[in-house]
Amino acid sequence: MKEKHLAALIGLASLMAVIGLWEYASDHRLANPALLPPPSAVASALVALIADGDIWQQLLHTAALFAGSYLIACTLGIAIGVWMGCSEFANGLLEPLVESLRPIPKSALVPALFLFLGIGPLTMVTVVVFAAVFPVLINVYQGVRGMDPVLGETARTFGCSRWRTIRSVVLPATLPAIFTGMKVALSLGIVLAVLAEMLAGQSGLGFIILDTQRAFQTDQMYAWVVVLAAFGAACSLLFDRIERLAIPWHGR
Amino acid sequence: MEARVSLRNVRKVFDDGTGKPLVAIDGISLEAARAEFLAIVGPSGCGKSTLLKIIAGLLEPTAGVVEESGRRVSGPPPRFVYLFQQYSRSLFAWRTVIANVMFPLEQTRGARRADLRETCRRYIAQVGLAGFEDKYPWQLSGGMQQRVAIARALAANPDVLLLDEPFSAVDALTRMELQTLVLELCRQNGFTAILVTHDVEEAVFMADRVAVLTQRPTRVAEIVPIELERPRNQLTTRENPRFLELRHHLMTALLGDLAEAGR
Repeated sequence: MKEKHLAALIGLASLMAVIGLWEYASDHRLANPALLPPPSAVASALVALIADGDIWQQLLHTAALFAGSYLIACTLGIAIGVWMGCSEFANGLLEPLVESLRPIPKSALVPALFLFLGIGPLTMVTVVVFAAVFPVLINVYQGVRGMDPVLGETARTFGCSRWRTIRSVVLPATLPAIFTGMKVALSLGIVLAVLAEMLAGQSGLGFIILDTQRAFQTDQMYAWVVVLAAFGAACSLLFDRIERLAIPWHGR
Repeated sequence: MEARVSLRNVRKVFDDGTGKPLVAIDGISLEAARAEFLAIVGPSGCGKSTLLKIIAGLLEPTAGVVEESGRRVSGPPPRFVYLFQQYSRSLFAWRTVIANVMFPLEQTRGARRADLRETCRRYIAQVGLAGFEDKYPWQLSGGMQQRVAIARALAANPDVLLLDEPFSAVDALTRMELQTLVLELCRQNGFTAILVTHDVEEAVFMADRVAVLTQRPTRVAEIVPIELERPRNQLTTRENPRFLELRHHLMTALLGDLAEAGR
């Protein structure tokens, strides 16, 4: 326990050292403060954002875009993954499609999506869904394929219908794989949501980071980056908490 | 004697696509009468588990038929339950003990959940796990997990138990406890039981008849009636000279077969 505390202390110290160095560099003109304002300036910009409530509107916008798209991606990924895992027909039908779409960096599709869906929310949701769906789908598929055959046989000996087997055996047995996929999709989804806002947004964290950069309000720009980092960390922490509650048997 | 389960000329050939089909089971005919305890022993790798999976309707025979009270089996018959050797993999890790036992009952229509829970508690008490209803399988020992699997089997309201080396993964003392428990449940409920095992003593101790299988391609070498009186006792039955004779006879049959295979 003591060693763990010490490690945390050292970690905190190194973080403080970097911030201190940054402050020193800006104050002594080692870096151009217009490009890299001191952390104290970023902090006061952040406080101002929180004080005037501006933060919530932008944060809410990004959170809504991300959460909605993430939900769609997870639902689609789980449904298609289970279907492909359980049915040879579905696997034969979809595997070539999935394998050819999967390696495309999803950001590369944004210009094409602009052509079809316009520069707006539809494109933004589509690109986030598109990025987040594959890790879920692949992990769920592999989870279903790797399921212990004894579980399937057990369900069969109890005369379970196909639907009940999926609902009561396959889905819970695959839950650890579902969470693994959703965890990868979480970070990918946030990245693509921010990118989508930069390219097509009217508001949101991605939009405002680019907007403040163009207006040369660098202290605010960095403050928004800090907000974005906090948002990502909060999502990740919440996810871990839910995962631990949902699969208490995992890793035993 | 009415046959509850019968196999006629069951063959199983695995074709792995290499052009050399593997004959796992080469024509087996067997019968288990109602309320009879039939044990099947054989050298390891002889396809005992394959045979039991065919009886359970989990595998299709290549030729021959399995009949349940004269009706041809295709797919798992509702009143058969299967106890797996790998009980820890057969239990649902995400369900508590009582929820595992509840599993076969959840398809019951029009039943109140509280009544079902009460029924499950009774089964759990019958296998000696009262008080462990809300534990998860991974919180229990191996022997206790197999008890959960037995309680879940009872909840399916079976009359045929298919036992696939169900006691081979627990320690010797626990194995004896579980053997006695299963025999007692069979006596109380009049189950027909088919036990696959490589443990000759277990077969003699539990069964009314023991079928000895040969090496692959597997056939029935002989069927030995076990006329030891019931209820059987872990001490006195095993010390009975007749028990030792039967054990000797079966061991010789099995070892002789191995000697044949090594020649």
